[in-house]
Amino acid sequence: MGDEVGRLFQLEDAMSELTRRNLLKTAAAAGLIVGAPAVGRAQSKEPIAIGTLCPLTGAGGAYGPDMQKAIVAVVERINKGGGIQGRPIQLFHEDSQTSPEAAVRAARKLFDVNRVIAIMSTWASAVTLAVKPLAVEAKVFYFSVSGADAVTEGNHGGYIARTQPNTKLQGQVYAKWVLSRKEYKRVAYMALQTPFALPFGDNFMGTLKSGGVSITDNLIYEDKKPSYRSEITRVLATNPDLIMLEGYAPDSVVIAKELYRLSYKGAILGPAFSINAKFIEGAGAEVAEGIWAIDPAPSFDAPAYKQFAAAVPQADKNPYAPQSWDHVTLVGLALAAGRGEASGTAIKDNLRAVSNPPGTVVTSYEDGAKLLREGKKINYEGASGSCDFDAQGDILSRPFGVYQVRKGKIEQVSIVNP
Amino acid sequence: MTNAAQYLFNGLVTGGILALPAVAFSVLWKLLRFPNFAVGAYLTIGAFAALAVNHGLGRGIEWAWLCALAVTGTVAWAVDRVVFHPMRDRRPFALAIASIGVTFFLENTVRFIWGNDYRSYDVPVTRALVWQGLRIGREQLMILGVTVLLVVLVQAFLGWTRLGVAMRATANNPLLARVKGLPTERIVGVATLGGGALAGGAGVFLGLDTTIDPLLGSGLIIAVFAAAILGGIGSAPGALLGALIVGVMEETSTLVIPPTYKSAVGFAIILAVLLVRPQGLAGGRP
Repeated sequence: MGDEVGRLFQLEDAMSELTRRNLLKTAAAAGLIVGAPAVGRAQSKEPIAIGTLCPLTGAGGAYGPDMQKAIVAVVERINKGGGIQGRPIQLFHEDSQTSPEAAVRAARKLFDVNRVIAIMSTWASAVTLAVKPLAVEAKVFYFSVSGADAVTEGNHGGYIARTQPNTKLQGQVYAKWVLSRKEYKRVAYMALQTPFALPFGDNFMGTLKSGGVSITDNLIYEDKKPSYRSEITRVLATNPDLIMLEGYAPDSVVIAKELYRLSYKGAILGPAFSINAKFIEGAGAEVAEGIWAIDPAPSFDAPAYKQFAAAVPQADKNPYAPQSWDHVTLVGLALAAGRGEASGTAIKDNLRAVSNPPGTVVTSYEDGAKLLREGKKINYEGASGSCDFDAQGDILSRPFGVYQVRKGKIEQVSIVNP
Repeated sequence: MTNAAQYLFNGLVTGGILALPAVAFSVLWKLLRFPNFAVGAYLTIGAFAALAVNHGLGRGIEWAWLCALAVTGTVAWAVDRVVFHPMRDRRPFALAIASIGVTFFLENTVRFIWGNDYRSYDVPVTRALVWQGLRIGREQLMILGVTVLLVVLVQAFLGWTRLGVAMRATANNPLLARVKGLPTERIVGVATLGGGALAGGAGVFLGLDTTIDPLLGSGLIIAVFAAAILGGIGSAPGALLGALIVGVMEETSTLVIPPTYKSAVGFAIILAVLLVRPQGLAGGRP
């Protein structure tokens, strides 16, 4: 029964697809006739199509709109300055809905209908992993802000890059901060069972051990248990002075409350995507007091960040919109360096030439394009960080913000550079 | 040694939270002859009813708890009238499946009203008492105490009141009870009201101990099921004992196996009991 209904829907889809294609063909033909005289005259003025796939709704809905705004702001500036080698950028916006299924449909439309050469700024790792094979196959360059290791793993021909640090870099930075605070000598690792827990933990604990800090316990716990009392009893029996709590907000609330009840006197550290305003609301200000959080942060002092902040005012200073700003700037610079052909392949071939040292440091598309026209080498330093990529598409370095809960509010304490 | 005692206490508290829904599940199973999996959703209903009173009306958690008993009892009674009553003559399997459907319906209703976010009661978190190196949470002690008291009350009701005796008679032989002129439908009504209230009260305890979200109760249902089977279907003290044993085994298991396998303990207990002593500890036949 379900099968038949499914088939019926497929049939209907195929039919509407057919009519849509016919319509498109007709429209294209009409356009050809009307626009024919223009073709010869302005071939090089043809717009460059770029797609955005930000999470405008769904779990990433708090971040997507600003990400898209950042991309639009950069493109407006590029187009006002005469485009890339005379060609304007034309943006096509789609909503990923923070859903892999919706994002794949939107990406298909961007590739097949709009013929974009690059898409940018998906947020959730599950979304990015779903769209990745389509982009690689279509030879479309793909930028994301997703953190899972799998995003850049495997052979993707160089079409994938991201500005969010992978778990390796994150684990090292967390550990580096712990080492910088000399008072923490005995660290316990407690993590929710996720794909993130093991690789992050290995890097975090490995770096700590080589820094002379002892790991008292390493415990992965299950989601949705009525209590974590025995897990916590086991961890507390090892007398840690810092507990690294790598979970999501709901389970972190339960554990933090229990640690408070048990009069745990040491410190707690967690990722800022879990130690957030909702966490404080759930655990209460008294329980949350003093808990540390770390997250990739934008380069607040960088010239590119100041330009970004002027164009896209942000209330919460989250790290994602600045990354989108850098995505589109880097795509523009890579195309400007490419000369001639504008394609996903041109972007991936020139990305590292404009993003990595050596070269004169530039902090905007305009400055970079000017130097490129003079035949000079450039090195873009962005709003989100220095934007230097390794061969696999991961960033080499990135500033991280350190935060602490103080009187029920999250306050930024310092910035750590890997 | 203190450590082992701590695990034991932790297990008793976990068991205390399992006990009330296990008693409701067990008694209702014996009476209506099907496992009512909607008991998990009743926990959620109770937790959110108390949340509405605690946050919405700004009343203390004691009031919220009493309101949760009333609301959840009423919901359970209404579910019985609307869904299970027309299905009384159907096979237990059909009713069990229907109860899973009810679970989905109730959970999604809660989700529709309150959303998917997790919440907490407006109750200050207190420091645990320390006694001989043993850390004893105040809320946990209270949860354990109230639970034991309620189970004693249920047992007294079933043993010594006319209605309780009538309930046991109906459970033993519904046809004979009806022939003898017992108002069996009214008895079932009282039992579902009471069972729902017990589960709702436990939902508040669970929310107090952890956080509140729409899937609060359904995460617990395997452990509740295990406790009821271990205790012996139909026996309130058996369900309490079963719940405490399941709780203690789940918590002490973390001494020997990784905590990620904690959920497997409930399944292992169900398997072992069904193989070795299918009638459970208290002896009633399922």
